[in-house]
Amino acid sequence: MNPKLHQPVEQTLDQCIKCNICTTACPVAAVTDLFPGPKYEAPQAGRFRQAGQPTPDRSVDYCSGCRVCNMICPTGVKIAEINARARAVMVEQGKVPLLLRLRNNLIARAELVGKLGQPFHPLVNFALNIKPARWIAEVTLGIHRSAPFPRLTGQKFRTWFKQHPKPANASRKIVYFHGCSTQYYEPRVGRAAVRVLEANGYEVIVPPQNCCGLPLLSNGEFQAARKYHANNVRHLADYARQGIPIIGTSTSCTLTLKEEAPELLDMHDEATGLVAQMTYDFNELLLNLAAEGSLNTEFQPIPLTLGYHIPCQYRAHRLGKPGLELLSLVPGLTLIDSQATCCGIAGTYGYKKEKYEIAMEVGKPLFDFVRQIGEKIVVCDSETCRWQITHATGVPAIHPVELLAVAYGFPAEGPLAQLLTAEPRRTN
Amino acid sequence: MRQINTDVLVIGGGATGTGVLRDLAMRGFKAALVEKRDLTYGTTGRYHGLLHSGGRYVVKDPQAARECIEENRILRRIMPQCIEDTGGFFVLTPWDDPQYAPLFVAGCQKAGIPVEEITIDQMLQEEPALNPEISRCFRVPDASADSFLAADLNAESARQYGALVLTYHEVLRLITKGNQTSDGKGSFRVAGAVCQDLVKDEEVAIDADLVVNASGAWAGKIASSAGISISIRPGKGTMMAINHRVVNTVINRCKMPTDGDIIVPAHTVAVIGTTDEQVSDPDHFAIEDWEIRLMLEEGEKLIPGFKNYRFLRSWAGVRPLYQEENTSESRDITRAYVLLDHAERDGVEGMLTITSGKWTTYRKMAEATVDKVCEKLKTKRNCRTHLEALQSADAHLHRLGSRLAQVEAQKDFRNVICECELATYADIEKAILSAKANTIDDIRRDTRLGMGPCQGGFCTLRAAGILHQLRQPAIEQTNAALCDFLQERWKGLQPTLWGQQLRQERLDELIYLDVLNIDHLPGPKETRLKSEPYLPSERQETPSPGSNLPVETHSHLPRTSLQTDILVIGAGLSGLMAAWRGTAQGKHLRLIAKGWGTHYWGSGCIDVLGYIPATQALITKDLAGQLELLIKENARHPYAVCGLDQLQAALKAFQEVCKQGGYPLDGTLEKNWLLPTASGAIRPTCLAPSSMLAGDAEIKTPAIIVGFDRFFDFYPHLIAANLSAQGIPAQGILLDLPSLRSRRTLSGRILAQCFEAPEFCNEVVQHLKTKIPQVFQPGKELRVGFPAVLGLNNAHHIWKGLQQALGCPVFEIPGLPPSIPGMRLQQVLSQAIQSRGGEIFEGMQVQKAECSGNEVITVWSEAAARQKPHRAGQYVLATGNFIGGGMVSDADGNVAEAIFNLPLKKPAPSTPWFQSDFLSPTGHPIFFSGIKVNENLQPVDENGRVLYLNLSVVGSLLADTDPIRERSLEGIALATGYTAGTRLGEVQS
Repeated sequence: MNPKLHQPVEQTLDQCIKCNICTTACPVAAVTDLFPGPKYEAPQAGRFRQAGQPTPDRSVDYCSGCRVCNMICPTGVKIAEINARARAVMVEQGKVPLLLRLRNNLIARAELVGKLGQPFHPLVNFALNIKPARWIAEVTLGIHRSAPFPRLTGQKFRTWFKQHPKPANASRKIVYFHGCSTQYYEPRVGRAAVRVLEANGYEVIVPPQNCCGLPLLSNGEFQAARKYHANNVRHLADYARQGIPIIGTSTSCTLTLKEEAPELLDMHDEATGLVAQMTYDFNELLLNLAAEGSLNTEFQPIPLTLGYHIPCQYRAHRLGKPGLELLSLVPGLTLIDSQATCCGIAGTYGYKKEKYEIAMEVGKPLFDFVRQIGEKIVVCDSETCRWQITHATGVPAIHPVELLAVAYGFPAEGPLAQLLTAEPRRTN
Repeated sequence: MRQINTDVLVIGGGATGTGVLRDLAMRGFKAALVEKRDLTYGTTGRYHGLLHSGGRYVVKDPQAARECIEENRILRRIMPQCIEDTGGFFVLTPWDDPQYAPLFVAGCQKAGIPVEEITIDQMLQEEPALNPEISRCFRVPDASADSFLAADLNAESARQYGALVLTYHEVLRLITKGNQTSDGKGSFRVAGAVCQDLVKDEEVAIDADLVVNASGAWAGKIASSAGISISIRPGKGTMMAINHRVVNTVINRCKMPTDGDIIVPAHTVAVIGTTDEQVSDPDHFAIEDWEIRLMLEEGEKLIPGFKNYRFLRSWAGVRPLYQEENTSESRDITRAYVLLDHAERDGVEGMLTITSGKWTTYRKMAEATVDKVCEKLKTKRNCRTHLEALQSADAHLHRLGSRLAQVEAQKDFRNVICECELATYADIEKAILSAKANTIDDIRRDTRLGMGPCQGGFCTLRAAGILHQLRQPAIEQTNAALCDFLQERWKGLQPTLWGQQLRQERLDELIYLDVLNIDHLPGPKETRLKSEPYLPSERQETPSPGSNLPVETHSHLPRTSLQTDILVIGAGLSGLMAAWRGTAQGKHLRLIAKGWGTHYWGSGCIDVLGYIPATQALITKDLAGQLELLIKENARHPYAVCGLDQLQAALKAFQEVCKQGGYPLDGTLEKNWLLPTASGAIRPTCLAPSSMLAGDAEIKTPAIIVGFDRFFDFYPHLIAANLSAQGIPAQGILLDLPSLRSRRTLSGRILAQCFEAPEFCNEVVQHLKTKIPQVFQPGKELRVGFPAVLGLNNAHHIWKGLQQALGCPVFEIPGLPPSIPGMRLQQVLSQAIQSRGGEIFEGMQVQKAECSGNEVITVWSEAAARQKPHRAGQYVLATGNFIGGGMVSDADGNVAEAIFNLPLKKPAPSTPWFQSDFLSPTGHPIFFSGIKVNENLQPVDENGRVLYLNLSVVGSLLADTDPIRERSLEGIALATGYTAGTRLGEVQS
């Protein structure tokens, strides 16, 4: 007997003992009855699906892919993955209306949008914030008029990084996978990451890369996602071979590199495996350093008490709450865990006309928490979750690495800078 | 005696019998059919579901092969709704003689069976699970067939042509006329049969000009009552169903037919079959251990990793093989059919026997039989059964995804009763009302209810509830029907209970014994309609290697985690209790678990000891005294190990933490509460939430039991009838609330969410008061029972509010998982742990441990891309028994503790794991297995030596009791969790 053997995704449905725990935990099923729940969709419906036959599925498209079910399933059914694959079959068989598929492809390609839009960022940002344009986008494309679109940055992360001087006395190397949001929307997160890594003696390498492909995976666009992932592996494999860790600040990107892409796309070649093995979440790696005793712990106090929310895609790394653990090393800083399940956005889910309300309803307990804490900023590791929280509550959200950078004495940027200048000395 | 007259009487309601009946009726004969149980109860309902192309017989029995392919074509035409066109492969594995392949191809060509060799690449593309070592693959037009539906359609067609179908009519004897001597000799004729109507429990005489004995393997038995001897050799064949369609094509080995050489995809499962063993009596045979083993091994040759699949159940049927002379091997007998005219053969007029053959050729057999009937009755009427298609309401093509597509199209999620097989309320209702199902097993044959992975775990209660609501029989009858079905499922489950199916079975036990207490329902535990059992298997000793799962060391991997003082593994009640106590003194504690714990499935009460294990006597008073006796008799019982004072302290502490969490639990070791369950049985429990206490059976106030329309986990009429039968006047009411009407799903959790809103509570109260105004009158004594869904976060207040609004005591009744009361306990404990700085993480399945000497150094949990290490000073193992995943088992009979491979106490190799009776009061021996510990709950070896000093074991992983049978699950969890947590919380680290 070897319960540890890796099982193919679909075969894990054999693990289900029908206990209903997942149905109880599912944040989507809790707010809409268009989604009958994880047990129904994965281990149950899974027994009725057959390759090469017309797909019987419809409701599975309402799975947000948050993976809460995977986390609490006592028997190990890979529910979210089974659902993602069922949706991919729907897409492949043309069961998703063409216009919606076009829409999905648009919102799932933040990279393309960024690449095309960034040079014209003032114009695009303006256009994305005027009501008639959003109304048109909703009517024609099905992108909900209120969904939180991030603002394109004036200076892309890679542009900044090229000008950024290399540290003189780096003792180790690391590859930074910045992801699309850092590149086009929130380069401040990338700048903080580079500074924090350099403060720990790393020379940061930023190889060519594209979108991790997760938004495409969660929209069932597997072919396009495969291309993206294969490209990333091509760019990263050599570093992995040399034993250079690959680190990311976007918890969804790192999860995709580690697990989602290889598993969903059945990519089991040596290079993909190596890249997965060498990919680390930012906090995870720094905690490893702490355990080894090689973390720079010269933290300056940050006398703040802030709300913290762990994204679903971060929980799905099955590492616990490394963000909380790491930030607990910063003196003066207190983080209050939201204990909330999901913000609702689930990548691109909450952008869709037919799912926006569901997403907002799913995130309600979290939004209530953020409002109740009453602080001027909130901490969260994933970009779309940050945008969703800010959209719902008006409270700006930052990545934990931004706090670390400040703790190492680097100047704060963005919302954190505003907060620290507004209330520079609040002590406990 | 009731009397029926007919021209032709058909005995046997299988494929042949129903086929003959239809043919007779279509040719204008007045015909009746008797079947001792439901249609297809015999061999027809117990085969693998193959529509033969004939390929299987081309070398050995070319005549049978030709008949098969002819009939294959006809059946595809007349009953497309019963046939899934899967196609079939004949594959040559390394274990098969390559010389057979050319013979096979030539045979196919000769018999007219289309055969095409395909490349191995093509084969693997179509069926990726198949063994890549297969060297040749031939495609033939095999298919899979629904034999239940086909028999039903034949019977229905016959009815429309005027025939009579009498199920549950068992032939007692044939009626003979003329001079028959006591030794059966003399000149006489067969003139009908006397039957026992099992439902009405009366005899019925059926007179007929001609009797067609189509009773298959029972043909000899039937004929012998008229003194006619037919040598029918029942050949038992055993099959096993795999949980999902591992293949979508029929897979045959390309060789002479033998045991375990075929896999048929049928509906949601794949069936491997069969064995073939001569048995002396078609009513008495066992599923033997060697048969299961053989099929696993043969399956492995076709599909590598076969053994690791989940097997749902196993069943056996008896082939009717006719034999005039003795041959030693039953497979050598021709598979073509046999039609006997007993006038010619035995000089007895009035009876034909049609037997042998296969399901695939049933129609041809019927045609030949009825031709003979025409001849006997001196009339000429032509057969039309091959020309006229069988009609059914939904004549769509049989396809795996059909049922899912239908539910999806209607978005009618809430009406799914059997969730595994997607059988809906409408299906069940039809089976009960139109098809007049007598038992839940009858409903199953019509709807596939209970045939999926949980084997009736959830839908048996639902089916019983619906049956009771629609038919309103005496409650004892419903109760027995429920028990009958659980026992029917159990008889096929037993041979395949390992791995996840064992885990499933234990969950089913938790539901039916611990939560629903159905072994204490009023009335008998079985009926005369119950499915007949298999004989107990002569179980061979299963090899049990002393130690498996080597403990790996991975010291070269980075240490990712900062060390904690205490690491608790497992988030059930014992783990949570240990964690809560462990944090009391400010220790840094982390609790990690694969998923949520067993209390999500339980009653939400704390059972300490419900029944005295030895006598099964119900414990009402002096629980403490009974516990003293228990630990005196069983000095290794977990309660004995911790001591009763620890139990007492644990209960007190638990009550305190619940009270602080706003969710008080009441009770003491003085007595057990006697609270109603969702089956209507009364269950003993020690601590119960305040919101359940008004249901206590000691109170005799009349009760109103309130359910919600189309909330299929709760049946107020069933509960009320059972309570009434136990001396508590009760009435059931279904509320049809406007706010719930349009919902597509309605689970306990959704209802709990609804009750959180005051408007919903008001709606419920107003509806109740207007629906039964005469009941809600001042001064009238009354109490109201609801399903245990009265809110999740504010349950106590919601319950109080309802009491106030209704002006009478209100109580909750726990039922099918998920347990809302269990979730409340989880919330209370989790919050208590976290408020003291303890951390709780789910999704972390601990997979291995690194130990050094008698110390645990690190444990590793599964995580994305690589395992995550956890280091702690002290470890608490709270992963549960089979049900929680703390203990694992496999097809080879190995049982192990999943993480540390701690030595297990388990039944002696010669002891069977299971009793033949699902509800056996003594419990199944395998569930007494567990870990031996010392008084500190540290695991010890046979000599009592501590294995790991910094490891404590708590909860149902502990050996020497079956907590579900004795109703002590939560008590043991709390007592041991408390003991370990308290000790570790105080240890100097």
